[in-house]
Amino acid sequence: MFKPYILENMEFDKDSLYKLGKLSKIQIDESKLKSLSSDLGSIVEFIDRLKSIDTENVDPTSNSLDQSLVMRDDIASDVNTPNEILENAPQKELDFFSVPKVIE
Amino acid sequence: MKRNLNFIEASSLLEASETTSVDLTKIYLENIKQAEELNCFNTITAERALVDAEKSDLRRQQGTLKSRFDGIPIGVKDLFCTKNIKTTASSKILSNFVPSYESAVTQNCIDAGLISLGKLNCDEFAMGSTNKTSYYGPVTNPWKSNKSDAKLVPGGSSGGSAAAVAADLCVASLGTDTGGSIRQPASFTGTVGLKPTYGRVSRWGIIAFASSLDQAGPITKTVEDAAALFEIIAGHDPKDSTSSIKEKESFYHNLNSSIKGMKIGIPKEFKSDGLPSSTQKAWDDCMKLLQTNGAELIDISLPHTMDALPTYYIIAPAEASSNLARYDGVKYGIREEGKNLIEMYEKTRSVGFGDEVKRRILIGTYVLSSGYYDAYYIKAQKIRSLIKNDFNQAFEKVDAILTPSTPSTAFEIENEPNDPVQTYLNDIFTVPINLAGIPAISIPFANDENGLPIGLQLITNSFEEQKLLNIAKNVQDTVNYESVPKNWWQE
Repeated sequence: MFKPYILENMEFDKDSLYKLGKLSKIQIDESKLKSLSSDLGSIVEFIDRLKSIDTENVDPTSNSLDQSLVMRDDIASDVNTPNEILENAPQKELDFFSVPKVIE
Repeated sequence: MKRNLNFIEASSLLEASETTSVDLTKIYLENIKQAEELNCFNTITAERALVDAEKSDLRRQQGTLKSRFDGIPIGVKDLFCTKNIKTTASSKILSNFVPSYESAVTQNCIDAGLISLGKLNCDEFAMGSTNKTSYYGPVTNPWKSNKSDAKLVPGGSSGGSAAAVAADLCVASLGTDTGGSIRQPASFTGTVGLKPTYGRVSRWGIIAFASSLDQAGPITKTVEDAAALFEIIAGHDPKDSTSSIKEKESFYHNLNSSIKGMKIGIPKEFKSDGLPSSTQKAWDDCMKLLQTNGAELIDISLPHTMDALPTYYIIAPAEASSNLARYDGVKYGIREEGKNLIEMYEKTRSVGFGDEVKRRILIGTYVLSSGYYDAYYIKAQKIRSLIKNDFNQAFEKVDAILTPSTPSTAFEIENEPNDPVQTYLNDIFTVPINLAGIPAISIPFANDENGLPIGLQLITNSFEEQKLLNIAKNVQDTVNYESVPKNWWQE
């Protein structure tokens, strides 16, 4: 098997995992807590390899395309009309998406 | 009719009136039916395909063809939005989503008269390299080892797209490639897979995974087919702000296989003792072949090669966690009811996403969270600059770079490592290319000791797809790899 990286299989801290779940709006399933913490531990250990690389005086690249932003002409189009879009809504009322009550 | 018809052959047969689009479409729909076991398609659009094929035949009679490829049946990865046709990204969360618009790429195919047979299975939200993360179940590789009857992965994430072409369920297909998702499955299935320069092909209407890396491309039976289909889908699109304004060339028309005097770089960082001997031999043989055909080999160094994979596993999940925030049970897709809005979000996303997608959202959220953003995300973007710079320097000396496409050939579906990082290694040779935004192609070169295809990867500088395709054609025409899988699924 091709194994160019050596990992020690760290575990990801469980409290931090619950916090990430809250931030990501994903419930952390109790039964999968152990495997998830081991998976995330491996991934974090893997990406931590980069910490030792010297990036002093290097600019970040967010996108590889060497082109300034192209603007398109501001012309109205009739694709994606409200009715078409609402067709996919799990719940709608009148011309609106409908969600559980937010204000008490 | 000949099995495994390619794009160019199909167009010649149509032109010579030796077949019709309806007949071709019927043959492929029958092939698809017989290959149900491979699970290549999420949705088969038989009725619509036949209607479209009839229209194409009518255009041919009336001399109003949309292009010389009018009437050829293809398959489309289920990541491209298709108007009025279910588009799921192989996820439960989008299992009921019917787009009200057509992606730019599929619109270009419609404008060229191509016939879509349906939507091809892939890893969920294109996250994976085995096609096992699909909500609709794994795709089976049409290839089998000559030493075992075990089912093999087709690679991923465009596993359905690659397997469907290899099994002759369509003439060619469309895939997307964020870290190797076209080239790795092409390599595992003996097909040709092209990842164009970032910006060459519009991303409008492609369900986003990592927006700064995603790029659509063809998976085909030959290099000529790749050039032809690439030419159809490429071009500036005002609806994609990162679409290149460069004029598209006549890639197919300009195809020639002359490589005399070209310099081909061999990066020392891709050499590894862990590489299977058959892959190493294929790589060596291809170097000799290029030399014999008039190219010069040059040893080069891409010093940050080993940093590319961890860099990718910061940038891609970060962008994914942001892109996938839109799946919240409000605007489209499924909804799980909750006591309040937050609980509705959490339940919907927990039920709707699979394990790999959740892992990547969590990691992406982690590297973007307060206190970690500079240490991970900005750091990764800086290393991305170093990786891009490695390639810039290399291309001052060479025309193209030759590497293996993958560190192994197709492996057993049941035999995936438990540790996700080990699975990520599948993309170790393909990921640096996406980070640099340059084009690359995987072409089948030989079979390993188990009779499974080995793919080699050619890489050129940004917007040099013509040169890339020309070198690939030279290799293809010299090596004459004509191996196809035995059609065991029809027995």
